[in-house]
Amino acid sequence: MSRLIIRKVAVLGAGVMGAQIAAHCANAGVPVVLFDLPAKEGDPSGIARKAIDGLKKLDPAPLATKDRAQFIDVANYGDGLEQLRGCDLIIEAIAEKLEWKLDLYAKVAPFIRPDAIFASNTSGLSIAALDAGLPEALRDRFCGIHFFNPPRYMALVELIATARTQPAMLDDLEAWLTTRLGKSIVRAKDTPNFVANRVGVFSILAVMHHTARLGLGFDEVDALTGPLIGRPKSATYRTADVVGLDTLAHVVGTMQATLPDDPWHAHFKNPDWLAGLIAQGALGQKTRGGIYKKDGKTITVLDLATQAYRPSAGEVAPEVLAILKNRNPADKFAQLRASQHPQAQFLWAIFRDVFHYCAVQLGAIADNARDVDLAMRWGFGWAQGPFETWQAAGWQATAEAIQADIDAGLAMSAAPLPAWVFDGRQGVHAAEGSWSAAESTLKPRRDLPVYGRQLYPEQVLGEAAPDAGLTLWENEGVRLWCLPARDARIGIVSFKSKMHAIGNEVMDGLLEAIARAERDLDGLVIWHDAPFAVGANLQQVAEACQAGQFDLLEKTVAKFQQVSMALKHSAVPTVAAVQGMALGGGCEFVMHASHRVLALESYVGLVEAGVGLIPAGGGCKEFALQAAALAARAAGGDVFPFIQNSFQTIAMANVSKSALQAVELGFAKPSDDIVFNARELLHVALHRARALAEAGWQPTPVQRAVPVAGRNGIATCEMMLINMQEGGFISAWDYRVAKAAATALCGGEVDSNARVPEQWLLDVERALFVDLLKTEKTQQRILHMLETGKPLRN
Amino acid sequence: MKQIQDAYIVAATRTPVAKRNGMFKSVRPDDMLAHVLKAVVAKVPGLDASEIGDVIVGCAMPEAEQGMNVARIGLLLAGLPNTVPGITINRFCSSGLQAVADAAARIRLGEADVMIAAGTESMSVMPQIMGNKISLNPAIFAHDENLAIAYGMGLTAEKVAQQWKVSREDQDAFAAESNRRAVAAIAAGAFKDEITPYLVSSYKPGEGGAVRVTERLCDTDEGPRADASPATLGKLKPVFAARGSVTAGNSSQMSDGAGAVLLMSEAAVKRYGVTPIARFRSYAVAGVPPEIMGIGPVEAIPRALKAAGIGQGELDWIELNEAFAAQALAVARQLDLDPAKVNPQGGAIALGHPLGATGAIRAATLMSAMQRGQARVGMISMCIGTGMGAAGVFERV
Repeated sequence: MSRLIIRKVAVLGAGVMGAQIAAHCANAGVPVVLFDLPAKEGDPSGIARKAIDGLKKLDPAPLATKDRAQFIDVANYGDGLEQLRGCDLIIEAIAEKLEWKLDLYAKVAPFIRPDAIFASNTSGLSIAALDAGLPEALRDRFCGIHFFNPPRYMALVELIATARTQPAMLDDLEAWLTTRLGKSIVRAKDTPNFVANRVGVFSILAVMHHTARLGLGFDEVDALTGPLIGRPKSATYRTADVVGLDTLAHVVGTMQATLPDDPWHAHFKNPDWLAGLIAQGALGQKTRGGIYKKDGKTITVLDLATQAYRPSAGEVAPEVLAILKNRNPADKFAQLRASQHPQAQFLWAIFRDVFHYCAVQLGAIADNARDVDLAMRWGFGWAQGPFETWQAAGWQATAEAIQADIDAGLAMSAAPLPAWVFDGRQGVHAAEGSWSAAESTLKPRRDLPVYGRQLYPEQVLGEAAPDAGLTLWENEGVRLWCLPARDARIGIVSFKSKMHAIGNEVMDGLLEAIARAERDLDGLVIWHDAPFAVGANLQQVAEACQAGQFDLLEKTVAKFQQVSMALKHSAVPTVAAVQGMALGGGCEFVMHASHRVLALESYVGLVEAGVGLIPAGGGCKEFALQAAALAARAAGGDVFPFIQNSFQTIAMANVSKSALQAVELGFAKPSDDIVFNARELLHVALHRARALAEAGWQPTPVQRAVPVAGRNGIATCEMMLINMQEGGFISAWDYRVAKAAATALCGGEVDSNARVPEQWLLDVERALFVDLLKTEKTQQRILHMLETGKPLRN
Repeated sequence: MKQIQDAYIVAATRTPVAKRNGMFKSVRPDDMLAHVLKAVVAKVPGLDASEIGDVIVGCAMPEAEQGMNVARIGLLLAGLPNTVPGITINRFCSSGLQAVADAAARIRLGEADVMIAAGTESMSVMPQIMGNKISLNPAIFAHDENLAIAYGMGLTAEKVAQQWKVSREDQDAFAAESNRRAVAAIAAGAFKDEITPYLVSSYKPGEGGAVRVTERLCDTDEGPRADASPATLGKLKPVFAARGSVTAGNSSQMSDGAGAVLLMSEAAVKRYGVTPIARFRSYAVAGVPPEIMGIGPVEAIPRALKAAGIGQGELDWIELNEAFAAQALAVARQLDLDPAKVNPQGGAIALGHPLGATGAIRAATLMSAMQRGQARVGMISMCIGTGMGAAGVFERV
């Protein structure tokens, strides 16, 4: 647990990064003051204020909920510097100009408390050079803190120490960033562009070099350098457009200016076409045109040969695709290298040159190879870092291939591979640790106490496997296990299904796991990697529909409800540890657990309407219960006002865009735990289950007299629907499905504010669900979803 | 129509009209009402207020801050004698005009010599534009012929636009013209005489635990936009139908405001020695299918003119409430109303439409025009939710 207490953060600079870093602090509930220059006219803090307004419009959203903006105050360097005295962490994020930064440091220094941390988010400047310009009093509390864009979603933060930075302070800051902001930390050396950008930008330069050399199209290269090789969908050139071509050129310029002795220095220049686009003001997404341009509905791409935009196609040759599908990395790389196809040659070349570059630079830029690999995963979204990719491909064979290409003059640089590459090793990652070229040793992971919270940290290939725990029971759907080293009497149940879809095996498994937990354990945690669960197994549902087995389907729904009720009314506490998607039936299990521990990035929703159904695993019932509870505390006690929002949530199949929003939508409770670092989820869930048990867990009794909105409530929901249908916003079938949701939420066709038992609510939603399932239109929707992954609006 | 005596309008005034959640965001509708009641009484110096037979107040959502018989509360807050009675009436958008008609009727029947008609509405304090608690009758959905009861007003405007073939371009042009006229009228000071400025006090947390009170004198309608043009309006998306034509820009604005009218019999006029502004001539209201409620005035206007024995050609000033450009245009075309005479100073698209207050507010506008000599025979008309139209005819004295 982080012991560093940061009550308030200041962010200097309300640009793209500054404002979003401020937003993420606000997400964590840490008050922030966002500074910028005094505005020339109007509100002196207008620049920062405008930046906050801008945050609300960005997609993906930097703010976990819009109301988090309330934790960001605005200020300016003209009259606001006094506010710095109240800040424990000051992050500078202004433009990358050394003299501007040093001017600002001189101005703010008198207002920074001696116990505060001062850090720069520079991505390109030398931390030592910044440190040299700092007033003496601040120097041992100064470091580099390099976030990646967008900071809420990119895990990586590089921390860079100077010779004077207090080591304990840096450890505290690392712990705080890890737990409070949920970031993944790599300690970088103070070399230009640090670790991730140094390798990542080199990789882009290599891609550009070989694109031109082999005469490939930008769209073709993007097809090759995306998910096919474990990199983000936006691949290379699309990413450049998103980042901004001017920004990319600037970073390349930094490498050119600051790395004169780098053996690849000759390649640190922007290609003519890039300079040309920038000169025309085509900077990418922000100018609505760059390497790609949207032309009406078609996306076009710049063709270097004709210097004109043409429709983007980007196809990968079948023979190259076949090579990439090879599951044996050694074979795959050998085949890529051997193939005469330009696409294959291209892929081999970009990997080769990045491997080559990383091997040569490892000692200078990073403590060890693990840091490089993790930096590329966390900062650039690569599925695997360069060293682990190399190691998987067969270290020695690949090293020899690289050397041969260097010798043949095919590589981008003639720099020799370092001697350690050929010392007979099988790789750089081993059970004992990862290779440090600077210290010629294997370095284990650092053992800061904060990492004790990560029971299953993200691992690179070749690391020692973590404790897999003790299996208590399992079936095809789930594994019930525990971690005796942590808490032998808290069970963990993990789904085994693909995307953690909920089928019969999972439900049977959960029922058994709950029964065993009630008999043998003190609590039960549902945990596995993301996603939490994508909902019911639609394939099973579709098959049963086609076979006309509606009795069976009704029994399946009844079982769904049985699992939900078992989770809710269990004799031991049940804790759902949620990360990623928790949809449909997954969401219903989440709602029924005794308690929820949610990673910030939790996308929770009842999406049944998309396939022409309504929630029937107790989801409608839970919202009806919530409304009754809220109404009991409201003047008048009328239930309907508290149904309206959940009706819209279900009818529109709204999914939360964060854990905080899941609370707003009613899928989670304000008393639930929100964990910023998903790697800490299991730790927190185990402790929460233990705490609930120790507090003398008493299951919630089943409700016997729930007031419902009834017939008037259903009619009032219908008013919204008739207007949407007549306005052409929804189809007649949407109306029918939404009316079923309204009916379930309102407790059926009973008098308004009539009181019904909880089981009645379950019966109503189950009957409506089965009625819908029997219809052709709903079955069409289910089949369409299975075939295309998209909802059908019939 | 048989009547004992004529009813005369001797004074009328109103607040400026605020945008919803605008300058009157925290102003209570009962305070707005008290304000205009006090002001309209003050326009007749020497009036013995205890002679006021009744205060009839129109309000379309008479609940919460404007509930509890807001008429009686407003008149007491205004400092009128507690012997003066008050009644709140509701016919949705025509409530304010209905109040004037009812007040006139009491005088015409000889039941009273001095009456006040008013309207007040705050759409800011309503949590939803349909009131605090929406609850529809299940019977509406049991029979198709009742479905339109549940239609939103915007949807009915789409139906009128379809049936009367009012194009998007025409609606936007009409909306732009409404704004142009309103902006010009404000610039010319045409509303100055009819508006009684309202001093808004706002109470916010201040330094050192003190409540910071700020005051702002509001004297100008907030709605009109000088930058509204067919081009800018043309960019707005339809709100009520996916492929519709009714937008936020060619619909009336949601607003806050109040208006009041003082009426007297001829005997009272003589006794107090006041110069009446206009004689109340007639009022009519009629029903139409709920799904095309906006066409209501087409039924009401001829009836009102007939009752007054006045030809349509004699009308020289028509306040036709612009609930939506679609319906206002359909009505004007159907009845062949002269566009120059319809809303010469702009309408609800620019000036706003505080539902039940609008009739009383526009009465103040018409009286002001008559006092300036710009109108001899004038009319106020509007469509009404769930399918009605109302029209009232006034003649300058």
